[in-house]
Amino acid sequence: MLQQNHYLKSVYETPFHERTSELNILNDWTRWKDYTVPNSYFRVDLEYFAARNSTAVFDYTPMIKHRIKGKDALEYVNRFFTRDMTKIGLHRVGYAVWCDEQGQVIDDGTVFHMRENEYWLLSAERQLENLAVSAIGFDVEIDELTDDVAALGVQGPTSASILKAMGFQEIEMLKPFDIKHYSYHGEEITISRTGFTGDLGYEVLMSNSVALSFYNEMFAKGEIYNIKPAGLEALDLLRIEAGLLQPGVDFMIAEEAIRPGATRSPYELGLSWLVDLSKPVFNGKAALVEEKKRGSKYTFVKLNINGNKPASGSYLYNQANKKIGTVTSAMFSPSAKANIAYASLHEPWKKGKDKIIAEIYYQKDLEWNRVMEEATIVTKPFFDPDRKRATPAELY
Amino acid sequence: MTKKNKKIAVVGAGHNALVCATYLAKAGFSVDVFESRSQVGGMIGKRKLGEEYSVPGAAHLLSHVDESVFKKLNLKKHGLEYSAQDLKTVSLNRDGNALIIDGDEVDGDDITMKEKKEFKELNKRMVKLAGFLESTYGKKPPRLGSDDRGDMFSLASLGLNARMMGADSMSDLLKFIAVNIYDVLNEFTDHNHLKGTLAFDAILGNHMGPRTNNSVITYLHQLTGGANGKNGSHSMVSDGTGSFTKSLEEAAKKAGVNIHLNASVKSISFTDDLEITGLTLKNGDAFDADIIVSGIDPRSTFNCLVGPKKLEAGVVHKVNNVRMRGNAAKLHLALSSKPKFKGISEDQLGQRIVYSPSMEYLERTFDFNKYGQISDDLPMEITIPSIHDKTLAPKGHHVLSAIVNYVPYHLKEGWENSKSRVLDQCINQLDGLAPGLKGLVVQSELLTPADIEEEYGITGGQWHHGELTFDQFLMLRPVPKMAQYSSPISSLYMCGAGSHPGGGIMGTAGKNAAMEIMKRES
Ligand SMILES: Cc1cc2nc3c(=O)[nH]c(=O)nc-3n(C[C@H](O)[C@H](O)[C@H](O)COP(=O)(O)OP(=O)(O)OC[C@H]3O[C@@H](n4cnc5c(N)ncnc54)[C@H](O)[C@@H]3O)c2cc1C
Repeated sequence: MLQQNHYLKSVYETPFHERTSELNILNDWTRWKDYTVPNSYFRVDLEYFAARNSTAVFDYTPMIKHRIKGKDALEYVNRFFTRDMTKIGLHRVGYAVWCDEQGQVIDDGTVFHMRENEYWLLSAERQLENLAVSAIGFDVEIDELTDDVAALGVQGPTSASILKAMGFQEIEMLKPFDIKHYSYHGEEITISRTGFTGDLGYEVLMSNSVALSFYNEMFAKGEIYNIKPAGLEALDLLRIEAGLLQPGVDFMIAEEAIRPGATRSPYELGLSWLVDLSKPVFNGKAALVEEKKRGSKYTFVKLNINGNKPASGSYLYNQANKKIGTVTSAMFSPSAKANIAYASLHEPWKKGKDKIIAEIYYQKDLEWNRVMEEATIVTKPFFDPDRKRATPAELY
Repeated sequence: MTKKNKKIAVVGAGHNALVCATYLAKAGFSVDVFESRSQVGGMIGKRKLGEEYSVPGAAHLLSHVDESVFKKLNLKKHGLEYSAQDLKTVSLNRDGNALIIDGDEVDGDDITMKEKKEFKELNKRMVKLAGFLESTYGKKPPRLGSDDRGDMFSLASLGLNARMMGADSMSDLLKFIAVNIYDVLNEFTDHNHLKGTLAFDAILGNHMGPRTNNSVITYLHQLTGGANGKNGSHSMVSDGTGSFTKSLEEAAKKAGVNIHLNASVKSISFTDDLEITGLTLKNGDAFDADIIVSGIDPRSTFNCLVGPKKLEAGVVHKVNNVRMRGNAAKLHLALSSKPKFKGISEDQLGQRIVYSPSMEYLERTFDFNKYGQISDDLPMEITIPSIHDKTLAPKGHHVLSAIVNYVPYHLKEGWENSKSRVLDQCINQLDGLAPGLKGLVVQSELLTPADIEEEYGITGGQWHHGELTFDQFLMLRPVPKMAQYSSPISSLYMCGAGSHPGGGIMGTAGKNAAMEIMKRES
């Protein structure tokens, strides 16, 4: 639903705005799709540490929310996404990507199996057109709920305790990627054990009408658990440590790419586990079958780079000083205590044979310096605490 | 597997499908054809009108046949007989001033020497361009975005053919190909009746008016091929086109094709790896096959026989976007004696009679069509086949077969209650052109585009199984990346008018498809 007089403003405020604007003492806002949300509230590093040591709360409302429901919903999502959707049981969430006809990733997102014959897709970009085109011949109804549903990320070791204190029974029993519907002030509220931080955490979807009271109550109950609001800057650090890709940063959204070759297939993003070629059909399958036969052009890797200078935007070279790739995201990870990065590698790089050397520029006293640092490929997640998986979740 | 034991099932027994089946059987494949109707031929074929009369089903004139196909299949030997050839076009108007076109000669309706010369010049240049178009017809079109050497070669030879026409024709091509017939004809002559008559050829069977872009391609398409090597010359086939379909059937059987009539195909089956396994008929019978060739339109093929759920969304989307608006209806009348048209002498009654007095008239009539309505003065192509073939009607009686253009598939008020009104309207209109005709009518029927869809299973009742426009032409036909008679499912091919080079009774699509299948499957 469009907000009244929306045209008078260039951006919307989320239903949490009344409180988030009080908490945003830096008054540091940024645009996320149609909304304005805090970039940082008080100090990015402390917001980041709240997510790792206590609880950080993110306003995810601008995340695009699509609903797919109807008799053919499962068949539909199974044809839309590259992975086997029959494996995402009722009240479960799955990470998924979808492709265009050329097998190039359009976007990624999380798919919520909300109810029997009903899935929600949460993604960075609006997908109504792709979803609608894909619906020809299927008995499904597709709509977008972005403006009707408020969303929060409640992430960190004490997050289960806070929700429990708010009265959400058995919240600690949710396994990672579980969904549970609760009633809250007479409205349905959906809590899933998911998030962008690679840690214990929950996402809460609720109608706009109860959003503010939920927020207030959570901060009241959460005070003793050191609850903090956190902005997008902290979230970006958390998601890199967590091993999650950012569309438009780590890969070009296929539909927005201008140059041919700028897009990536799931294989080229290290997401082959999300592609099930044994499914009879899905969008992009023919091209991916072909790519599998022919071989991919790019390899996506996680890197651990020597030194402590983040390799943001770095070119990568091999020992022969030939360019073999670029860094897409980089940071010094406080939790992993490592200089980490994602990178897209290409020829003439040879797995197991070639060295990877990052050309890093950094500024010191307004002077630019350049270092060449060797990097090694990491296959495990950068940061992977046991509490992320433990069920029942740790309570304090 | 050798081709001898590769089993091919062909969907539909339209003329393209039969041509394809026969070529394949001659090449050693085992071929079965499945046809919904009780006779072969598809939109061409004899049709009963009441007990005593016969008419040509949908198509009534052969205008741009592929003679190489006719020769290869030996159709003459198998019974093909023309009842009349090299027909002239006699164009009527309300005042009874007929215009007569015979090849590049035009006469009548106060036409001046200057205008006659203008027509000659126009005809010369258009035939040359049509020749270029035709040079692309007998070949499979190159694929888009391919680095295959054969595709590069076809593309290059297309370019070369265009250059070989000479600088003038090259510039004609560039100038005319994507514009509209209205502007082109206006450049050549001022004779409105002549322009109306020629523009009629551009819009016949297409969802376009003379001012619609692309209407030059459709005009040139009409000028390609032709019996006796005469471009666009019209012929009538004996037995209400029956001798043509019969000869195709004979040729197919002779080559070893099994034809199953009253056998409507319901679905095509294939494995998860997109290998064809066979097809299932509406009556539940299943038939194993290694290769399937569809002679029906691409939309029905993929939406009905394959099913959108089994295809990638991109393919479904493209196929569903193929424009398939049919707007040609067919009028059949049985008459108790010869009608008399104003301005037409009795010895001209057997010619191709056209009613399309001017381009402005056509454009205005198309306006109705665009909005789901019908003008009360419709353009028509009229033949009286019984003049040349006495077997079609009892002695002294005649049958009239007319294509009535600009009859929309989607009529705003629905067809159910309007059909008899439109039929009466057509008869009244003819009565205006041939006073007294109404009193001669003993049988009548009107096949609307919706009826044609129902009867022949072709979406929209579309003449070309998909409108013939620049964006649905050559390597873009039926949809980009699916050209060359192939489909996303390996060993599922297409051979009907929806493939390159399009519709009309030609047989070229069927022949090209067979060539491609032989190449890929041998
Ligand atoms: C009103 C009208 C008049 C025309 N007049 C002329 C003319 O005078 N001259 C000319 O050159 N062209 C004419 N055309 C165009 C011409 O008829 C077509 O372009 C041509 O017939 C196409 O041939 P085809 O073999 O590709 O397919 P079709 O002739 O359409 O044959 C398709 C066949 O498939 C069968 N079929 C459909 N679905 C199934 C199924 N599920 N299972 C089994 N079988 C199935 C149908 O019954 C049909 O026999 C006319 C078209 C129309 C609509």
